[in-house]
Amino acid sequence: MATRKRSGSGSKRHLKEKVVQIYESFFRGEDLTSDNPTFWDEFFLLKPKIPQLEAEIHKLTVEQLNNLKDNINLLVVQCIDMLGQEHHIRLVYALQTFSAILTTMYQRAGQDPSINIKFILLGTDNANSKMQKLLEHCSTVLAGDVPDSLKSMVIKLLLIIAIGIDNIDENPLVEYLMLHSLFEPLMQLLCTSTERQQHGYDVVMLLMFLVNYKKQESANPYVVKLSILDDELALNGYGQVITAALNDFVMSTFGGMQASGGGWLSSLTSMVGGIFLTSDETQPVVRGQRNMGGEEGMLLALYEASHLNRNFMTTLAHSSSAAASSAPPSPPATLPPHQTPPNLAQIQALDNEQPTNLLVTFFQYCSIVMADTRTESSINKCSLCFITLTCIVEEQFANSIMHDQNLTFKVQLYRLPMRHRKIVPEEPPSQPLASTLIDLLVEFMMCHLLKKFPGELYELCVGVLLRLLSYQKRCRVRLSRDWRPLWAALIALLKFLVTNESTLLRRHNIFTMAQQVVNIFNLFITFGDTFLPTPASYDQLYYELIRMHQVFDNLFYMALRYSTGDGEFKAEALRLANCLVNVRAIIQHFSPKIEVWLASQSLSTPTEDQILEVVRKNYDSLILKLQEGLEAYERYTERAHRPLLARLVRAASGAARLRADAAALRDHSAALLHHYTTIAERS
Amino acid sequence: MLENVPIHGSRSDIKSKPPTHQRNLSLDFRHLTSPSSGPPPGCGHQRNRSLDSVLQRIPEDMTPTSPEGAPLRHDAPGPRLALPPEVPAGSDDSGIHTPPDGNDEERPQPPAAARSRESLDSGNPEDSDKPPDPPDTADEPPVKTMCVSDTSKKKDFLLRLFESKLFDMSMAISYLFNSKEPGVQTYLANKLFSFPGEDVDFYLPQLATMYIEMGDVADVLRPYLVYRCKQSAEFSLQLAWLLTAFCGDAKKSRATKLRDSILAEEIRPAARRGHHRSQSDASALRLATPSGRHLGDLASGRAFDNGCLCGEQCSCGAPRLAPQIQFLTALTNIGRRLAGVADKERRNGRLRAELATLDLNLPARVWLPLHQKPHYVLRIPPHAAAVLNSKDKAPYIMYVEVLETEGHEPLPPRLLPPAPPAPHSPPIRHTKSEENLVPEWPALSLYSALEDSDAGDCWSHEDEELSTQYPAKLPAPDSLSQVSAMSVMSAVSGVSALSTSSCGSRESVAVGAGEVRRRLADATAEPPPNTFRRDPQDPSALALKESWESKLARMRSSSPYGALAGWRLLGCIVKVGDDLRQEMLAAQLLRRLQAVWELERVPLRLRPYEILCLDRECGLIQPVLNSVSLHQIKKQSGKSLRAWLELEHGPPTSEGFLRAQNNFVESAAAYALTSYLLQLKDRHNGNILLDSTGHIIHIDFGFIFSISPKNLGFESSPFKLTSEFVDVMDGESSDMFAYFKILFLRGLLAARKHCDQIIHLVDVMRMGGQLPCLRSSSAVSAFRARFHPGRTEPQLRTLVDRLVRDALHSLSTRLYDNYQYYTNGIL
Repeated sequence: MATRKRSGSGSKRHLKEKVVQIYESFFRGEDLTSDNPTFWDEFFLLKPKIPQLEAEIHKLTVEQLNNLKDNINLLVVQCIDMLGQEHHIRLVYALQTFSAILTTMYQRAGQDPSINIKFILLGTDNANSKMQKLLEHCSTVLAGDVPDSLKSMVIKLLLIIAIGIDNIDENPLVEYLMLHSLFEPLMQLLCTSTERQQHGYDVVMLLMFLVNYKKQESANPYVVKLSILDDELALNGYGQVITAALNDFVMSTFGGMQASGGGWLSSLTSMVGGIFLTSDETQPVVRGQRNMGGEEGMLLALYEASHLNRNFMTTLAHSSSAAASSAPPSPPATLPPHQTPPNLAQIQALDNEQPTNLLVTFFQYCSIVMADTRTESSINKCSLCFITLTCIVEEQFANSIMHDQNLTFKVQLYRLPMRHRKIVPEEPPSQPLASTLIDLLVEFMMCHLLKKFPGELYELCVGVLLRLLSYQKRCRVRLSRDWRPLWAALIALLKFLVTNESTLLRRHNIFTMAQQVVNIFNLFITFGDTFLPTPASYDQLYYELIRMHQVFDNLFYMALRYSTGDGEFKAEALRLANCLVNVRAIIQHFSPKIEVWLASQSLSTPTEDQILEVVRKNYDSLILKLQEGLEAYERYTERAHRPLLARLVRAASGAARLRADAAALRDHSAALLHHYTTIAERS
Repeated sequence: MLENVPIHGSRSDIKSKPPTHQRNLSLDFRHLTSPSSGPPPGCGHQRNRSLDSVLQRIPEDMTPTSPEGAPLRHDAPGPRLALPPEVPAGSDDSGIHTPPDGNDEERPQPPAAARSRESLDSGNPEDSDKPPDPPDTADEPPVKTMCVSDTSKKKDFLLRLFESKLFDMSMAISYLFNSKEPGVQTYLANKLFSFPGEDVDFYLPQLATMYIEMGDVADVLRPYLVYRCKQSAEFSLQLAWLLTAFCGDAKKSRATKLRDSILAEEIRPAARRGHHRSQSDASALRLATPSGRHLGDLASGRAFDNGCLCGEQCSCGAPRLAPQIQFLTALTNIGRRLAGVADKERRNGRLRAELATLDLNLPARVWLPLHQKPHYVLRIPPHAAAVLNSKDKAPYIMYVEVLETEGHEPLPPRLLPPAPPAPHSPPIRHTKSEENLVPEWPALSLYSALEDSDAGDCWSHEDEELSTQYPAKLPAPDSLSQVSAMSVMSAVSGVSALSTSSCGSRESVAVGAGEVRRRLADATAEPPPNTFRRDPQDPSALALKESWESKLARMRSSSPYGALAGWRLLGCIVKVGDDLRQEMLAAQLLRRLQAVWELERVPLRLRPYEILCLDRECGLIQPVLNSVSLHQIKKQSGKSLRAWLELEHGPPTSEGFLRAQNNFVESAAAYALTSYLLQLKDRHNGNILLDSTGHIIHIDFGFIFSISPKNLGFESSPFKLTSEFVDVMDGESSDMFAYFKILFLRGLLAARKHCDQIIHLVDVMRMGGQLPCLRSSSAVSAFRARFHPGRTEPQLRTLVDRLVRDALHSLSTRLYDNYQYYTNGIL
């Protein structure tokens, strides 16, 4: 009906599709409805041309946008109205049109912060009731018995809203999602296995974003509801989606393994957990490649659940067997487009063979992420892993599961090949998960004593260790493991701190960290009887302390040096010196005794056994100071990590938007449109 | 005098009543026209008809104790009141156990018939007030012509036997099996209605076998079976499973038809009048919650929910058996999948994962068929389950929490397990409030004991608070002040620590390093030698060693349902890939033997366990509580049996040991005798258990009668008696060993006395050749011969001596143990 062309489009003389003509006249501000009462019914029967629609909106200036407010309002209201339609064609077209408008408007708003998106889309009157209507329709579709693709479109629409603006707190439309919570229908989608497979990833993503909306300021219903959720099925569904996504990451990182793996692959398929051994000829593609991986969102979702919901801990250790429960395959969007999909057969074999549980997968994931602390984003991910671990090890239930002697797993952790060690693929021992966690921490501590020392990560790491040991001491759990690697790692950390004191002090308070580490030794020394597995391990502790006495001596002198001066670290340094008292007592007690013994035997290089013998004989004359509160820690609070979380949420929403742009609109839209129209035609 | 009363007297009396019972009349008609076809659904009264036909066929030898039949009807209201104890005085004589000749016509007596009808009616409250059916005079049974009156004398005996108190289910089975006479079969089938359900259930395998193999018996049994199926879902399934297990291959037989109609839920209680309203209510409700379609979908969380919401009396038409079938299918599927997993440790992990998935669908109205009392399954804690030792199959044991209920109580909702109790509250310093300014990093001085103790108190207090109302985001005002007070104090103490010397002169607590190490040594000292270690290759050892009491207490406390009054913990072994039918027969025989010995007061101890065959290759087994196998004992402790008993029960002179030794001897003798009678083979130490009170318990009756593992010809000894056993009995010359032999002899004598009721169990099962152990033509006769019916007691005594000697000095026993050690690593 509108035949006049804009000057810019004059070159395209060929016939324009009707819908495009409508777009054009519509965004010129023309009133199309007054002479045609059934205009909207007809309009939504026309197949929307998303690129043209977007182009039309992009053409408008801010001023024009504001002037066209009434028309856009009208379009939005009509879109929302159509969502209540029984007629599937109109419903689908309205969803597509609305999604396109939202996407474009958010893009405009991103480019020009002066655009008031809420004002343009919803107007000033009844904004709330319009959004309420929209969300009611969404809720009906999500809970209703409608084709999966329709639900998927609705979830995508909601995601567009949630990730519209980098900082979700500034997103004016999310407010309405808080007022009219969709938590229950979304959770319901996680409960049923088929729907979880279809929508699980998007639903968890969406929930994660919504939970992060102004979580500290106002009562966010998603935070409240997620924290009290006790529907095991829903929690399990939530966990399974995360497990699948993290597992995909683990698998895809080592997807190329199969080709070179060859012979030992068959033996690996039966290995618990995952397969990502590395050998010399196959360098893993870890470092730096996955900065924008989609699993960040999942990691945040895992963090939120572990942090908020105590019941989630039961899910963490709930081993699910894929054969029986059909874990959801995470959507292809999890993988960056350029990456080949993981070897499905391998995953399948693994899934069918072995039950996985979220903790196992998470530990494996951590081992990969923690191998890389070079970039800002990988450090962020690494921190998130550590604070999630902190939340987990503070939970009694999670701890009791991780320390269950009857619940052992063979978890293959990723180990970085380094100059000084060669990684040989070997079957990991079957051990309680707490032991695996300690292995993970040891691995981290040993691998990042670099010039660019990630001090915050080390603090978190030592904090996790302290919480774990605190549980063991309180509950008198004895992990039957070799503790020496841990002691060696802690001593290596101390040594690193001492040798790099001057450079590190500029960025980190190395005294508090050293004190933490020494206090862990104090825990072993004075309370080792409550959680060490054998008396021999106590002897070994002394042996290590005596063997590495140089490190402790140097640490002590350093502490003294700083405590005598008037520097800013005076108090901390003094405290550090104080808490070294037991270690120093041990060294000073045994060293002369050993020397005397050596002299008496006229030996110069004693064996370990000989030293241990001397140690055993001389325990009784050594008095240790019993220090209280060694295992005390401050319960995790989110406050300190808020900037980090905000950064991660922003990154995740950016990644999600990129994915949505790349995948949904360009590649899939044709296929999807076809799909939806066929649905529509059938109905 | 009994003969004087004509049957027609009572019949006419009955006839005078108004013929209200039309349904039965029409049934009679159906029965007449098509005797082989089943009764239409909703009918349980075909038996009345056949009783009447029996009545009609016996014109002369009537023994109605009450001529009118009316007094008997007073008993009607109470179910099962009209049982043998109520038999009138006239028929109290003990019966003569003469099996009927093929030609003989045994005629049951009308009063018995009338009575059994009464009891039937009473069992079915719907009909209890109604007068019995008027006999259909037009209904002339075709067999009537065969009626011969000259055997009346003998018939009378038989009838009196059937009437007598002593006539029990065992005899009924025997006569049902042996008699070819339709009248007798019909009478006996009707008689079944008057036996308590449990008695009949014991012989269900036999009944099922007869139903499959004997066409004529099947016809008469069918009404009873259908009647019971309608009454109980449990019975329906038991029968269906037995029919599945014993049915021959795939032919469309009568038995498979019956089974299919049970499983298709065609046989179900008739919908009752007056329930239409509730039905519509239920269907309305069901619209709200989608029902039924989740059945079997373990991921749905409602895999065992048939969507029935009607409560007490289901009238909504929801499948009655499907949830239970799905439940057991899920259990056996797990076993099937486990068999494909290579090593035991991984199997165990897999098992737990599978059970966790299954557990998500509980609580549900499903039950464990091994447990007699009505109950529902609440929860299957996955971590309590374990894979059992088996090389290529994957049997597993699981512990199931159930709720015993009387009626149709509502199921509790699914609950999450409570957090494990913390031994000490974690020493956490809260910085809960956003405003509080406690430094993130060590805020606590380590050197001030006073401050710590104070702070420690308030923390522990706070912790309780925290655990009860989690997540507690808002700090209570006082906790806020505590925290800030703390930070102040730590600052103060920091200063004081500064002011004091670095050696920390203020600390009051010290400990010797030697002390720490000693405590560690004490705490980690070798556990008592009779505890088991965790062995990844033998995951079940620990699960089985734990005493039932402690397991019960532990599981109850860790279960979210533990507080419910009807909470019970049941063990269950799920076996897939093994034929349990012989196992089931053996369990029956064990029960009979045990009953006989109890009756004859012989202190022999058997421990039969429940077996449920689901089909030919899988089933459930009730685990023997508080017991571990001799293999596990040897492997874990490395000690001899006697040494182990001493460890567990004390030195040889202690009361504990003597009691255990006595138990050991009594059970060893019982199983020795049983092994001998049943020719029990494959007796390696993995198949012999020792319970916590010293009883020997044999399990795995896969090789009995004529077969042995791979028929290698090992184990030629009469039973397994190793020198180790004798050692426990204080040696060959001891009193205990003599006691062992005496018990053996007394047990044999007692068993011989009642051997008929033991042998015929086996005899029936031989039909159809389903059990490999009975395939040999001589299996039953050899079994009978082992009771040595011809020998005198002194002869038996000699025999026992010889048997024991042979067993003890058998080379083959040792050979077999060695063979098992080398092939399967069983000690």
